[in-house]
Amino acid sequence: MVVYRRDARRRPVLLIVVLVSLVLVTVDSRGNGAIDTFRRVARDALQPVQSVVTSVFQPVRNAADGITGYGAVKDENALLKKRLADLEGRFLRQRAVGSQVGELGKLLDLPTIQDATGVAARVISGAPGNFERTLVINKGTSKGIDVGQPVVAGNGLVGKITQASSTEATVTLVDSPGFGVGVRLENSNERGIAEGRTGEREMRLNFLTKLLPACAKNSSPHTCISEGELVFTSAVANAAFPPDIPVAKVTGIEKKTGELESTVSLRPLVNLNDLTYVKVLHWPETTGG
Amino acid sequence: MMIRRVRLVLLVVTLVVLQTTVFPHLRVFGAIPDLCLVATVAIAFEEGPQTGAIFGFVSGLVVDLFLASPLGLSALANSVTGYTVGVFQSGFVRESRTMPMVLGLIGGLIGGTIFAIVGGIAGQAGYLSLTSVRVIIVAAIYDSIVALAVFPFVRWANHDPDMGYSRR
Repeated sequence: MVVYRRDARRRPVLLIVVLVSLVLVTVDSRGNGAIDTFRRVARDALQPVQSVVTSVFQPVRNAADGITGYGAVKDENALLKKRLADLEGRFLRQRAVGSQVGELGKLLDLPTIQDATGVAARVISGAPGNFERTLVINKGTSKGIDVGQPVVAGNGLVGKITQASSTEATVTLVDSPGFGVGVRLENSNERGIAEGRTGEREMRLNFLTKLLPACAKNSSPHTCISEGELVFTSAVANAAFPPDIPVAKVTGIEKKTGELESTVSLRPLVNLNDLTYVKVLHWPETTGG
Repeated sequence: MMIRRVRLVLLVVTLVVLQTTVFPHLRVFGAIPDLCLVATVAIAFEEGPQTGAIFGFVSGLVVDLFLASPLGLSALANSVTGYTVGVFQSGFVRESRTMPMVLGLIGGLIGGTIFAIVGGIAGQAGYLSLTSVRVIIVAAIYDSIVALAVFPFVRWANHDPDMGYSRR
């Protein structure tokens, strides 16, 4: 025979919790300072416990993958990857500068990535949920990090800060659905929006200022799009990102019958599933009066 | 009663810490389990729909503080799942060893579906897609596996020394 613990409340509990939940969802979707403050306080409160658990779990994880110096090898590997990414980023930025020769005169009044200082941080966790593409880093507002700041790795754009407490911050990745960044093509300098796609790690290049075909054999690279071509953040006033940060590489150009423009697929240059170190840029830079 | 409440608070805090520090590193086909959802199902199985809804609301709210999604989304999904499981569990007259896995799977499917649908309606990009269906199914299977560990933990936390167990 089934015996219940006495639960004599007959109030419409479900109705109340559903209504309260829907109100919270609606309010938070539109942005609310009080909820954001509550989030920050909760994260700061739990951060010491999370640090301890991470420290305890890290050796267990390493042991599970095989010991005999695995941890040291992994650290060294991460450091080498960072150095390699830094070098790749320098090389890619030089490509950006090379293609910008004709535009330099127009850009003299705009700040560049070289002007942006930043804070280095370590990735401590991936997304805690199943419906988001985020990372958690180990620095927060106490280190000058704030919501909206761009995040880069050595070889390209990672995303931007979307939540921050005093000790940690959440980065929404560049391939997250709904995330868009203004970009320009390497060869033609045409501008567009690179957007993440649901269920795909590849992005799409949309809203190009000028419709460009895929490059044919003898086409001039300035009048078409070619596979392998890079896209960089574009230089516009009051932009969310500094200009000339490498973002992605063109992996395919496809035009289906009946469609007006081609579908341009992009793959982020940064391996967003294997990040250890990132840099949060202080952008836009505040200049003295 | 106070001991029970303290244990339940510790239960929620422990599960949230594990959810945010350990399981992001243990993804299977891109999905991780929802520990508080599984705990809600366990509470609903023990205590009935009303308590399941309340526990689901509170635990979901705590989890929402650490997600990028809007506050209240997990609270809604967990509370409705807890209530639903609590209503239908009255038909079970005996326990079996596979019951936690079955309930974990059902709860994962219900909770994940509610989360995706309401999140999509609320404007979250990418929630209403075929990819979400795959994620929900994989996460529900993962939930059924972790339920084997979560259910005993919930039973311990829910035990009130003054009243004894409600179900054996």
